[in-house]
Amino acid sequence: MKIVVCIKQVPATGADKRYTDDLRLDRSNVEAIINPLDEYAVEQALRLLDDGSVEGVTYLSMGPEQASEALRRALAMGGDGAVLITDSALVGADEWATAKVLAAALDKLAPDVALMGMASDDARGSLVPGAVAAMRDLPLLSYGAELTVGDGVARARRLSAAGFDWITAPLPVVATVTDQVGEPRYASLKGIMAAKRKPMETWSLADLDLSPDELSGGALTTVTGTRQPEEKAPTERIENLPPAEAAVKIADWLAARKLI
Amino acid sequence: MSNDIFFLAEFAGGGPARSALEMATGAAELASQSGGSAVALAYGPGAADGAAGLGAQGVARAIVLGDEDRPAISHAAAAAAAVRDADVLAVLAPATPNGRDLAAALVGMLHVPAFGPVRSATVTDGVLETEQATLQGSVITTARPSDGAPTPSIALVLAGTFTPAEGGNGSAEVEHPPEAAESAFARATVAESHAADAKVVNLEEATVIVAGGRGVGGEEGFGPLRDLAAALGGAVGASRAAADAGWIPYQLQIGQTGKVVKPSLYIGAGISGAIQHRVGMQTAEHVIAINRDPDAPIGEFADLFVVGDLFQIVPALTDEIRRRKGTEGA
Repeated sequence: MKIVVCIKQVPATGADKRYTDDLRLDRSNVEAIINPLDEYAVEQALRLLDDGSVEGVTYLSMGPEQASEALRRALAMGGDGAVLITDSALVGADEWATAKVLAAALDKLAPDVALMGMASDDARGSLVPGAVAAMRDLPLLSYGAELTVGDGVARARRLSAAGFDWITAPLPVVATVTDQVGEPRYASLKGIMAAKRKPMETWSLADLDLSPDELSGGALTTVTGTRQPEEKAPTERIENLPPAEAAVKIADWLAARKLI
Repeated sequence: MSNDIFFLAEFAGGGPARSALEMATGAAELASQSGGSAVALAYGPGAADGAAGLGAQGVARAIVLGDEDRPAISHAAAAAAAVRDADVLAVLAPATPNGRDLAAALVGMLHVPAFGPVRSATVTDGVLETEQATLQGSVITTARPSDGAPTPSIALVLAGTFTPAEGGNGSAEVEHPPEAAESAFARATVAESHAADAKVVNLEEATVIVAGGRGVGGEEGFGPLRDLAAALGGAVGASRAAADAGWIPYQLQIGQTGKVVKPSLYIGAGISGAIQHRVGMQTAEHVIAINRDPDAPIGEFADLFVVGDLFQIVPALTDEIRRRKGTEGA
């Protein structure tokens, strides 16, 4: 039983980011981290490794060569090995192209569970896991607050409108988990040292028997422009007033906008 | 020439979800730009009887994928078959968990362009043009399908991007989807359902939300917030910190990993305003923040920032609103 966790390297939250002149995200000079929502997938996989439900955890990422840093960070948390897919034809890949490449790599790795975070922190896209499942014709267990595997099935606890459900599907599956999994573990110094010796392979498109033509040049979508968000009206402030007087001012503010 | 605009119309508890009405309105708007029709892909309890009613939002046809209460993504094969069967320019899907699942399945099955979550969508020069906030909202990007890309374009649409049109008296023509082989998605089934102890409101439908965060301090700290919400006819929500602490159910969490809401009034009490919370409520029409910390980040994007102790200000505000509404002591 083995799990492959797909992770994306993203610019750190709050980092100074910009687009290049050719409308691609400028990833130079920006601190890069594991997509925070992917760390929950790493944590879930490692818990399944810890409790003996699975025998192996491998990480898979698609990105520039420096995305190997994100894979090393994941390996420092635990797990066995990693694969980086990097190819100049993938610069500017959109969600469809990313899904197609990951699906091909997962076909090759053939895990029982392909596990991903629920969304990426930079573009807030969230279509890759479902598209990968569709391309591989596998069930999708999405938005799990907890994932279990055993007896040939995967089970995900998922929030419902008024409680929660257990959704189940026969293995192999594609699954995503949320931040309700619990806080990701920190890498120990021992883990960081051990990660340096764990195997990491680098694959190109050719290793996946994919041609740039099949990927439509990396994207079916084109960014045609960027702009700054609209300037917001300045914030009005109420401070240093006794509560009753502040309440009257707030109620006046609401009444002026016909909200009460 | 593809020019119809399809959209996902989720039904729950016998009627259309707010997202279905928003997508219907958006699809009708885009169809008027493309010269096509707005067509619903309706699913969920109530879809069979209620789909015709989407005609009130300008929807010409409604294809009922299924009326049962089962995972939305299990309708993927039928949805893909319905889209393949027509000339579709774009499919609008709400940026909710179910909408994301179904949209993703369509992208993977049809090999078509994907956009989103978008904050605006139009048909420009005969193609879907979208705007999306990226890099934690610091940049707005405009995107289109690449030249020669296949149709339809699939767009995830944020809550509040389209405001449901006032109901007209039109009626949508109801159809069944073409026959389709089941996909692997149908192998995921609900094994157990557990209801919560208390009824949980759907925050996505609320027009007034009073949300509490770490500063509320505990489960009982939400009491004054509930009183204020009741006085305003609204619902109570929370930040992730409050949900993680177990003070309030996760169904009421607002933010990146919770609900994305667009009420006409949002009041955040004891919420610092981290980016992860902000992305869940930044399209609220009016934002009031109440916080003891005069430098809390929420002060940068609130319309009105009240610096003070929420345990004094919230009850005082509740009293003042009741007094003005003539329901003092109620």
